[in-house]
Amino acid sequence: MSVVNYGTREITCKIVYYGPGRSGKTTNLQHVYSQLPEERKGKMVSLATETDRTLFFDFLPLDLGTISGFATRFQLYTVPGQVYYAATRKLVLQGVDGVVFVADSQSRQLAENIESLQDLHANLADEGFDPRTIPLVMQYNKRDLPAGEISSIEDLDETLNFRGVPHYAGSAITGKGVFETLRSISTLVLSRLSAPATKA
Amino acid sequence: MAKPAEEEEEGGEFADFLADVSKEIAQRVESLDPTPKAVAAAKLKTPVATEEKRKTPAVTDAGVIVEWPNIADRLIEEIR
Repeated sequence: MSVVNYGTREITCKIVYYGPGRSGKTTNLQHVYSQLPEERKGKMVSLATETDRTLFFDFLPLDLGTISGFATRFQLYTVPGQVYYAATRKLVLQGVDGVVFVADSQSRQLAENIESLQDLHANLADEGFDPRTIPLVMQYNKRDLPAGEISSIEDLDETLNFRGVPHYAGSAITGKGVFETLRSISTLVLSRLSAPATKA
Repeated sequence: MAKPAEEEEEGGEFADFLADVSKEIAQRVESLDPTPKAVAAAKLKTPVATEEKRKTPAVTDAGVIVEWPNIADRLIEEIR
């Protein structure tokens, strides 16, 4: 999982937004995209059905320009949340450097969150990653909904965040917590930057 | 008068993110680069033999850009 290439002076990080259907993964990417300065806006690829459900996946390339002499690119992906797109989720996870798990805060969605988290762990393991150590950040989304409809952050954290990774309250539709989450996962991923397999 | 600040704030989210990422990369790259000074030196005094290779255009293959001059510089540096 080498993301820094000293030969081509490039740093590339692949971050995948994972979570149950309709939890707000695509909305996260859309907010990031909306905040990009014009000169950095690439193309956000989004394949959705007529009802806005992600059919395949979303892809947002973030060209951060040259940093410390390295052309730096972040690639943000989402997976389709619906259960029957298991193969696509596995495909998108290939070569991942970090994962944002976007949980739906609605109390009635708790089972879906758990199922999706288990699916993430199984797919990571299948792809050869250690689910216990891969950079992961939790985002508890939809905090803008009425208090009676959503679980508390503490409850969500206790149920979903058994690794004790950084977690953020979010409202992707308003942009709250979106960049905090992205900043957090980016820092985790970059802190694991590895050099190419060359002699020291 | 306060209205334009909204746009500035929006741009600020990305700017803050970029600043944090840049800081992290600067720290990591410095500590990881196997021979940062040697590579920099090689760039300054390019050997004659490398000149012709520099004319070779960058190759694009399946989305991977190979910057031949950089690779040549590193190979020569390592042979030395």
